[in-house]
Amino acid sequence: MRVYLEFAFKKFQNRLTYRLDFFMGIINTVITIIVFCLIYKALYGEADSIDGITFSMVATNFVISLGLSGAFDFDEMFLQNKLHDGSITNEFLKPVNFKLRMLSENIGDSIFKIIFNFVPALLFSIFFIDFCAPKSILSIILMIISVALGYLVLWMISFIVQTWCFWLFSVWGIVTIKNVFVNILSGTMLPIWFMPSILRKIVSYTPFESIYFTPVRIYLGEMTGKDIFYGMVVQIFWIAVLYLIGNLFWKNGVRKLVVQGG
Amino acid sequence: MIEVKNVKKYYKVAKREKGLSASLKHLFSRKYDLKRAVDDISFSIKEGEIVGFIGPNGAGKSTTIKMLSGILYPDEGEVVIDGFIPYKQRKTFVKNIGVVFGQKSQLNWDLPLIESFELLKYIYKIPQQKYDKNLQKFTELLDMQGFLNQPVRQLSLGQRMRGDIVAALLHSPKIVFFDEPTMGLDVVAKEKIREFVKYMNEMENTTMIFTTHDMQDIEKVCTRLIIIDEGRKIYDGSVEQIKNQYAALKSIEILLENGKKEKYTFDVNKTPMNEVMERLFSKFDIRDISICEPEIDGIIRDIYEGGIRVS
Repeated sequence: MRVYLEFAFKKFQNRLTYRLDFFMGIINTVITIIVFCLIYKALYGEADSIDGITFSMVATNFVISLGLSGAFDFDEMFLQNKLHDGSITNEFLKPVNFKLRMLSENIGDSIFKIIFNFVPALLFSIFFIDFCAPKSILSIILMIISVALGYLVLWMISFIVQTWCFWLFSVWGIVTIKNVFVNILSGTMLPIWFMPSILRKIVSYTPFESIYFTPVRIYLGEMTGKDIFYGMVVQIFWIAVLYLIGNLFWKNGVRKLVVQGG
Repeated sequence: MIEVKNVKKYYKVAKREKGLSASLKHLFSRKYDLKRAVDDISFSIKEGEIVGFIGPNGAGKSTTIKMLSGILYPDEGEVVIDGFIPYKQRKTFVKNIGVVFGQKSQLNWDLPLIESFELLKYIYKIPQQKYDKNLQKFTELLDMQGFLNQPVRQLSLGQRMRGDIVAALLHSPKIVFFDEPTMGLDVVAKEKIREFVKYMNEMENTTMIFTTHDMQDIEKVCTRLIIIDEGRKIYDGSVEQIKNQYAALKSIEILLENGKKEKYTFDVNKTPMNEVMERLFSKFDIRDISICEPEIDGIIRDIYEGGIRVS
């Protein structure tokens, strides 16, 4: 276990070497959040709420989902690059679980971006946007747990797509398509409340809702008591299902590599 | 320690013809050629041996090393190393080995060298005491104190390579594979690495397999030589033996009085030296004469080119 903590920590440290990257990242996040909020501000006009959703709820949705999606941005060419330059063999020569190592490094990376990108962007946005104050400390804690679960859902989806590099020359196209699906269906561009009811129904049967929308609803108090528990069970369910699928691809890919020599 | 029995590895190589129509046809039906990368190789290596593993490019060296280190399945045959079957028990097996690839670094590009070593301490669960001892010893031997705290991307190739070697040896593996560790290094750096490898072998009795294209590496470091070509083993024996076998082949360079140079190669077993001399002296006016022993470089070149058959 200790070694995976070290992987995460080293990645965190690694990030610290690129300072400009970090300042530009904050500006980028702030601008994205503000632009989306301004668009919806214009759409709301004078109205207080649309379908029972107030503007500050929408703003909160954007701050959490857009802000976090910046931090949850993995290097999705990682596996492919390792495969193409052959350095994947180095990884197999270490007594380390490669998937866990990938996950730890991504977590280290994301924690860095949350601290040095999401949090500053959040503090900065407070001056421009009025979003909902947290209901209670408990709702913040529950949201953080749910964000962590949502992170794993997102990571598992990304991992599945990344493993296709064993069969495809480049996964870039597939990754891009996947990201479009994630961005639209997880509510980072269009809040899930405003989706047509059929689409909303469909999305509720996909893992996308579990990524950002569940934590947003917990934070806003839209989910309470039993609902929170139920929402988290759904998140865990998706993590398990996606993990099994990803593992299947991974095992077959590795077998292909060690049997046919890549 | 290492037992390799009748190992074979074939690659399927897609056959393609020239032209657009052939490329289109290739999309739907493919024909494959079977390339024999490793074709029935057997050998065994005892504990503490340093074996040079050489052959021309594409001979199957890297494929063999990959099978020995457990990242490639052989199609036929069996590999047993220290009681493990590497490709079946990879995770437990790799704890006992170290691998140095001359072309691929395992160090973290952005972090100081020492950070990569620290990470390896956790990966291999090296006890702190042993880690400190090994690190201190290695940095002293390889003269690395000066750049331990520099990011790897700022290191020269020679410094980086020394870092990679230490990284592969920190956990005191029983077996170390070196894949062209001296590639692209200057004479001094090469020498330092050779000395270190020899020292490690003598002190720790580490078994080492060395692939290289530099015959000096082989001559100075290895006690045994395995030559493979086109997937087959064509020589297995001591470095001395191969030199002795060809020591009979001498070449003579003579400088004539008129300033011309002539060069002859002959086998002393067929034509004794005094006969050669007699003939030369009666034929030419000689100002200077020098007799050259065959060099390992030349011998190996002749073997690769098929000029000399190894029995």
